[in-house]
Amino acid sequence: MAGRRILIAGIGTHWGTELARRLERDPAVEQVLGIDTTPPSASLGRTELIEADIRNPLLARLLPSTGADTLVHAGILWYPEPGKPKRVLHDINVIGTLQLLAACERMPTLERVVIRGSAAIYGCEPTGPSFFTESMAADYPLRTRFQRDIGELEGYFENFARRHGRLTCCMLRFQPEIGPGLDAPLARYLSLPAVPTQLGFDPRLQLLHAEDATGALLAATMRPVRGAVNVAPSGSISLARALRLIGRPQLPVPHPLFGPALARLGDRLGAGSLYGDAVRLLRYGRGVDNARLRNELGYEPRFDAVAAIRDFAAADRGLRLVAAPRVATVLERLAGSAR
Amino acid sequence: MSSAAEAQSIPEIGVRFLRGVRTAVDGGLDPLSAAEAASAELPKPLRDGAERMARRLRGDYHEDEWGFDEEFAEGAYPFFELLYDRWWRVEAAGVANVPAHGRAMLVGNHSGSLFPFDASMITGAIMKEHALPRWPRFMVLDWAFSLPFLSAFMRKVGGVPASPHNALRILAGDGLMMVFPEGVKGTGKPFAERYRLQRFGRGGFVEVALRTGSPIVPIAVVGGEEIYPKIADGRLLARAIGAPYVPITPTFPWLGLLGLVPLPSRWRIEFCEPVVLDGLGPEAADDRQLVFEISEQVRETIQRKLYENLVKRGPAFV
Repeated sequence: MAGRRILIAGIGTHWGTELARRLERDPAVEQVLGIDTTPPSASLGRTELIEADIRNPLLARLLPSTGADTLVHAGILWYPEPGKPKRVLHDINVIGTLQLLAACERMPTLERVVIRGSAAIYGCEPTGPSFFTESMAADYPLRTRFQRDIGELEGYFENFARRHGRLTCCMLRFQPEIGPGLDAPLARYLSLPAVPTQLGFDPRLQLLHAEDATGALLAATMRPVRGAVNVAPSGSISLARALRLIGRPQLPVPHPLFGPALARLGDRLGAGSLYGDAVRLLRYGRGVDNARLRNELGYEPRFDAVAAIRDFAAADRGLRLVAAPRVATVLERLAGSAR
Repeated sequence: MSSAAEAQSIPEIGVRFLRGVRTAVDGGLDPLSAAEAASAELPKPLRDGAERMARRLRGDYHEDEWGFDEEFAEGAYPFFELLYDRWWRVEAAGVANVPAHGRAMLVGNHSGSLFPFDASMITGAIMKEHALPRWPRFMVLDWAFSLPFLSAFMRKVGGVPASPHNALRILAGDGLMMVFPEGVKGTGKPFAERYRLQRFGRGGFVEVALRTGSPIVPIAVVGGEEIYPKIADGRLLARAIGAPYVPITPTFPWLGLLGLVPLPSRWRIEFCEPVVLDGLGPEAADDRQLVFEISEQVRETIQRKLYENLVKRGPAFV
């Protein structure tokens, strides 16, 4: 059997680039191709870049010539980025995916399609399951713009998978990522000198370590399974404990004011706009079940929810508010157990 | 030295500590180092407490995947123990019917309109009287999880949102799952209907028990109905704030916060013989008739035990 030929849409995103880097090292992969309008976020070796917009109808003529057997769509955006403002996210995420899937229909060599989607489809609900499994996607209404976009594109993809039974279609539902060196709005939020939280709420979170995010994407690229797969760490951690581990004081804000406060603070302090479901995520939290990732996709996350935060905390170099000794230090010295 | 420290009163300890700090500061130390030097004067429990608090502030404590924080629950326990021993004078019977190991579903009658304390008292009975105590998890009305403070508190002491998926997962992990199949119909019923069991939902709890092969331990709780006697319902207010009901009791809302103090009724909690469902297998969960039969059997057991224990208890408040 000849080596794998893998096409990555959205190579300009962090995850597209990371995946290409891993694939380049794999001798079983004959060719790596990347499509995007922006260059990769880091320099790549043997990956062949195609500068094109996935929304361009010419794509349907371009793609068959690549002879790819696997298409990975890593270009779904959770947050606005420079050059990709909020108003075009729907276009990129939904219309782009739709065009890309249409182009796939003309690719006779294609065997597998993998989309890097989001666990946002489950929403963030105070009620209901504490660990969503893949079959519970339609249990709650889609409340935010981002959720509706994800819901819409999952609908297209499901339909596409049904019509093309010979293709292995895999939808990955990622929990938000965190990691040392990963510059995402949520990571910036957790690195604020004092972190605004919602008074009286302490959500359960599962933040996926960036290394596991790439690892799971790679595993799905090499051996995809049919249907949706949750990509999340095992266990969960409360926001309060996460902030204590990171060493950031909480700044509780009454929850109706949290959204506006975050928007204002975010712009000034660099947390960026937390597009998507961040306000609800930081109020009610969300847990998903990762059994399918571990058992069927065969990827065992290296970091559980707590370890991911610890690793983030260890590398954290953000601005700190207090230079004075922390309360914990004072208490430890009083107890005579200072390290 | 330690016995001497124990014999001292709190102000004396404070004075000696401050004097120690003062001497050390006079000796040229910075205030924090001075306090550290003088802290040897402090009694051991205080120093242990400071250490524990420091550890928690650093995030070095354990939460399980549901957000249950055992250390926090232990911290809140003395308050509930006080209610258990002194306020409600709870008598528990048959605690040994709760399995010491492995999965089990605890099914109780639900009461206490304003704040149902029955889950905490059942937990108290297990933690105090069982030979091998372990923390049960309990299903909490969805609405409570959308409220600030209450949601975080409930989660830390072992509450999970009422969903069969959550019950399945807890039981599959060999936990103790406490459920109240009456739900709000049990807590929200008027005082005149006390100790009359309401409908047991659709028997979902039996389905979960069958699917996981968990024994069902019926629990009759007497005393919870008198803590906040619901004499009327603030329907309009309930609709306005999205609450399932707003109880009006002889003291609430008339006395404001004081109205939140529960009445000191006398309680009895009886844990009944477990209903063992092992022989049936998970596919029995699809047999609606069987599910209703088991549900009804559990309901009747609890109702019978409620009447028995009401007689045994005698007058509600003395």
